[in-house]
Amino acid sequence: MRKTWLRDYIIKRLFYAVIIAWGILTITFILVRVGPTSPADKYLTNLAARGEEPAQVIAAIEARYGLDKPILAQYADYVVNLLRGDWGWSFSTSMPVIKLIKTHWIYSFQLILFSTILAALVGILIGIYSAVRQYSKTDYIATFFSFIGISIPNFWLGVMLILLFSVKLGLFKTYYDTGIPLFSLANLKQLILPVITLGTGMMAGYTRYTRSAMLDNLRKEFVRTARAKGLPERVVIGKHVFRNAILPLVTIIMFDLGSIVFGGAYLTEIVFGIPGLGRISFNAIFADDYAVVVAVTLISAFLILLINLTTDIAYAYLDPRIRYD
Amino acid sequence: MIKGIKHLARRVGGIKNLILILLATLLGLTLLLDIFVVERIFDPLGYLYLTLGIVFLLYVAWPLYHSRRLVQYYWQRVKRNRLAVLGLAFILFLILLAIFGPLFTTDPTAANFEQKNLPPVGFTTSESIYNPQTGQFITKVISGTWEHPLGTDNKGRDLLAMIISGARVSLQVGLLATGIAVALGTLIGVISAYLGGKMDNILMRFTDIMMTFPFFLLLVFIVFIFGPSLAFIVLVIGLTGWTGVARLIRSEALSLRTREFVLAAKALGASDGRIILAHLVPNVISLIIVIATLSIPGVIMAEAALSFIGLGDPAVTSWGMVLRAGQQSLDTAWWVAVAPGVMLFFTVLAFNFVGDGLRDAFDPRSSV
Repeated sequence: MRKTWLRDYIIKRLFYAVIIAWGILTITFILVRVGPTSPADKYLTNLAARGEEPAQVIAAIEARYGLDKPILAQYADYVVNLLRGDWGWSFSTSMPVIKLIKTHWIYSFQLILFSTILAALVGILIGIYSAVRQYSKTDYIATFFSFIGISIPNFWLGVMLILLFSVKLGLFKTYYDTGIPLFSLANLKQLILPVITLGTGMMAGYTRYTRSAMLDNLRKEFVRTARAKGLPERVVIGKHVFRNAILPLVTIIMFDLGSIVFGGAYLTEIVFGIPGLGRISFNAIFADDYAVVVAVTLISAFLILLINLTTDIAYAYLDPRIRYD
Repeated sequence: MIKGIKHLARRVGGIKNLILILLATLLGLTLLLDIFVVERIFDPLGYLYLTLGIVFLLYVAWPLYHSRRLVQYYWQRVKRNRLAVLGLAFILFLILLAIFGPLFTTDPTAANFEQKNLPPVGFTTSESIYNPQTGQFITKVISGTWEHPLGTDNKGRDLLAMIISGARVSLQVGLLATGIAVALGTLIGVISAYLGGKMDNILMRFTDIMMTFPFFLLLVFIVFIFGPSLAFIVLVIGLTGWTGVARLIRSEALSLRTREFVLAAKALGASDGRIILAHLVPNVISLIIVIATLSIPGVIMAEAALSFIGLGDPAVTSWGMVLRAGQQSLDTAWWVAVAPGVMLFFTVLAFNFVGDGLRDAFDPRSSV
């Protein structure tokens, strides 16, 4: 009974995921096409500067990128090319977009990975403590600081950290040094400020979510039963309350990863000059390099789709009480 | 005549809707006139202000005025939350600053290289100047003057004037974009919940698609393609930021849909439009107010982030833009980076405090 339900649910979710993926592709395509300038215009200035005939250049570019075909054929080309892994040519860096992304994704990945782990660990611990000692002094202080953490714009926090620790105290470099090998202590050291920058807001959020999820469960009947049985408080909190609070928490953390963290990482990379996906998209914007900006937007949307899908299915699998219609 | 109006009002679902339709038509005609006959009756932001002003008056201010006692009751409860009152005071201060500040300050874009990098009042900096005659460096101590209370940047622009201009931009974007997003989200959420079935499915799948884009990256993408102007940025934030609102309003409206007063209205032959606008929307208004207040910080931050990375409207001085300039002169003029960020931080904090206070006052158990 449950097995067939789960299978149906997974199939349904996959079906929705395909629709959403199609929607993402289509909206992106429409936005680029409706835009006031075509990608061809942007190349034009570059090529015309070399003294080539504008009309010929336009025709050549349009033919090369298929812009002279009817709009539906262009749309079909676009989708097919993306599916085949041909994500276009980045003219500002003179390499295929897919190659550019392959060399740069690791920088975003390490930043997001470290920030999420740190923020989740510290945030959840503070949240649990805050909930268990509700209305204590520590709780008030934690709540106050989580308010500040949520309200502080992360790009400004980054600039302030650079000002204090790099410019005034000289403890860190003001810019991320790509010459340092990725798997080294020096690299960890230069990631400290970026990770704090990106992690603070997340940590504050997780503290609040954990606190409220724990409080919700602390008031439940089974907690009273557990205490009445004479279980030690450590077991009541750790095994009974926290276990029930963790699942919705993971969902929120996963959801945040998409909506907040990607935008935050984009800005953090720009502040510190970390050459991740955000930074290459930023550089591409000012070089009018369409393909890169489109690719970074698409990749992050698809990643979020994947994360949400996995979370939903894992959630349905792990929590036997859950029923969706 | 009056009978005719009453009849017409009933047809469109209440006198308020009639006024809305009339004013919207008037605004539409002005817009057409603006585009095709004469130029610039209002600027684009002006149209946004007018549209949202009409909607606000009819669907927020009017109902609130009608239930003054309830408003007073909630105000008493909000007043107990000291942080919320503090936040409200700061927001009022900011609004006054944005409206009247420009009267007392100079042009925020006026450069004056003779007075560049002046520190704020009460601070001093030292500058090494090369003296070509002696071939030595002379250390000159510069202290802030009251002419530029917050100092100047590396082009000699007055920081206070830039901050005030930024407050204007942030408030405009925050209020207008949130207005659009909340109006759109409410409409989509309520329609989705009320009509249900296929319509609900389509609208919610569309919401899913929009939610899958990371908000800030989508914003960057659209502004990159269409080019930055303040009115356009406001519009884009509004048109992309409604998804969360729609979800929340939908779930609230779903529980209202089967309540007796809706069934009664239906039994009396009310049209779908009337039930949505006259029965469902007024009943989610407290939720709308809380969501709107709590959405403003995100919107303000999004605009600041856009101008920080250089995708803001280059014609207006905003906090993000000043911060961007500040990061480039951290070692010579740290105050340029500090001031806009402090303002941004306090603004966001203030709206969060007020939103939290409102939420607790309306419904202490909810967790929006």
